Amino acid sequence: MTDSKTSGDTHEIGRLSSGIAGLDTVLLGGFVKNGLYILEGTPGAGKTILGNQICYHHAAGGGRALYVTLLSEQHERLLANLGQLSFFDGSKVAHEILYVSAFQLLERDGLGGLLTMLRRDIVAHEAGLLVLDGLVAAEAYASTELELKKFVHELQTLAAAADCTMFLLTSSGIGTDQSGVRPEHTMVDGIISLHDTECGWRVERDVIVRKFRGSDHLRGRHALCITGDGIKVWPRTESLRLPAARRPRGTTSPRISSGIPGLDAMTGGGLPAGTSTVVIGKSGAGKTSLALQFMSGCTAGSPGIFLGFHEAPERLAARLAQWALPTTGAVKFLWYGEAEGLIDRVACDLLEAVRESGATRVVIDGLLGFEDMSVQPERLAPFYKALVEQLRELGATSLCTAELRETAPSVAPPPLNRLSAVAENLILLRHVEARGQLQRFISVLKLRDSQFDQRVRRFEIGQGGIVLDEAGAGIAEFSAGPLDAAAPGA
Amino acid sequence: MATILVVDDEFGIGELLEALLQDDGHRVLTAMNGRHALERMAEARPDLVISDLMMPVMDGAVLLRSIREHAEYRGIPFMLMCALPESSIADRVQGYDAFLRKPFKLMEMSGLVNNLLNRPP
Repeated sequence: MTDSKTSGDTHEIGRLSSGIAGLDTVLLGGFVKNGLYILEGTPGAGKTILGNQICYHHAAGGGRALYVTLLSEQHERLLANLGQLSFFDGSKVAHEILYVSAFQLLERDGLGGLLTMLRRDIVAHEAGLLVLDGLVAAEAYASTELELKKFVHELQTLAAAADCTMFLLTSSGIGTDQSGVRPEHTMVDGIISLHDTECGWRVERDVIVRKFRGSDHLRGRHALCITGDGIKVWPRTESLRLPAARRPRGTTSPRISSGIPGLDAMTGGGLPAGTSTVVIGKSGAGKTSLALQFMSGCTAGSPGIFLGFHEAPERLAARLAQWALPTTGAVKFLWYGEAEGLIDRVACDLLEAVRESGATRVVIDGLLGFEDMSVQPERLAPFYKALVEQLRELGATSLCTAELRETAPSVAPPPLNRLSAVAENLILLRHVEARGQLQRFISVLKLRDSQFDQRVRRFEIGQGGIVLDEAGAGIAEFSAGPLDAAAPGA
Repeated sequence: MATILVVDDEFGIGELLEALLQDDGHRVLTAMNGRHALERMAEARPDLVISDLMMPVMDGAVLLRSIREHAEYRGIPFMLMCALPESSIADRVQGYDAFLRKPFKLMEMSGLVNNLLNRPP
């Protein structure tokens, strides 16, 4: 006979949200509840902020947390610093979140005494979360590696029994060559490493999940920033998962209008829906105009997102209005004018905007803006490919513009080769000076699985936007020499 | 105050249970396996046995059978702990009074201990 029946045949793995959307994405849903984690990083990497941010998020959801320090920052100073961050809520201190200094107890009673204190305080406070800030100090009081391992093991047992997720903060970290592996690293359920790395003149922060028991996660480096709102994480775009059930990639996609009747005629009815188009040309060739005209197909029920790096949204909106293109309220502009930025932040913002709005048309005006931002040029090709794939999975047809540098040779410069993987359709814009004025030309270099008009067509940008020359005048009539471009990667 | 015998070969579990039960005012005896537990019981009769199932030398099922077959011990409440669900061990082990699935929760463990100790004889 039994007095009690417990859970079913499987222990469900619960999750604890970090309160940081990007980190939860990296962890595929948050920390595994009742796990024991190490948050490691050099001084200034953001460990204390991260530990506290998780506590305040937990408390905001009705939970209780215990923050135990060991010879680290003094509490009044810690709280004063936290007070500068928006997640800090003073009303939670001493109620939902208890700050306890345990160094003197550690000095007097050793690791055994510390463990007893933690156990009693977790039970008394009904804490669902524990942060132990200063594991290095605890290590100093372990006479042997085995003693430290036993301490960590007993913490782990307590975490499971007390329904308490635990974080150990330490400045000793695993190096990229694994040289810093310590006994506690082998025992805990997960290791989150924060880094602050010099990249030329810039210093970039990132986070790596080095170990995560009980769950898959997004491996590799992910961008991290410390802002007035605390820590933010943007998963590396290339690491983002695509849904298991992918959208079919048919060979006969329906066409959507480019917004330019003449170009639609050249492409046999418009751009294949769900594909990515890259429009290349030198500065002033008309790329942004073409992109804006693509947006003219947006409606309230089929909205669009226009992401740019150079022209401010107000100017772009004014041009749309000037051309009397009916997009009011149907196009959202995202603009990143800063000189230093994070490509993954931009990608996350874009994908979120598309997800939220259900956008079916997306423009990225100036792909090289990503190149200017990035300190890892080797990432760009896989980054572009991943971003375009994510957009496609969200049901969007994307159109990206890419500038050919003024000094570009007659063939596309090397950076554009990175676009070959994403350019299912490729459109080239050129401008030449002839007959005393600037003449613009458009040609389709590639159209996925489709026939297209291979002629080079002249166009003008007038009051209504881009209009192709009805007479079909080509570049040959204006240029005596060889054409000044060829397909990227050709 | 009751005397409770905690039997577990896994480091950490026994130590935690011992500490928690002591915090609640109980006297706690510990053993690493079934045979060791019977030796401890010969020294002091416990009011409650909390035992893991899977242990070396003598497992929890044999320990339970030995206790139930012993005239002096058969009335001692027995709480069985196991990482497996109860349904998967029910056909192999009978006669326990409460089942505690590992990893257990403190509240659950504490509640079961109180129930068993306060149960009418």
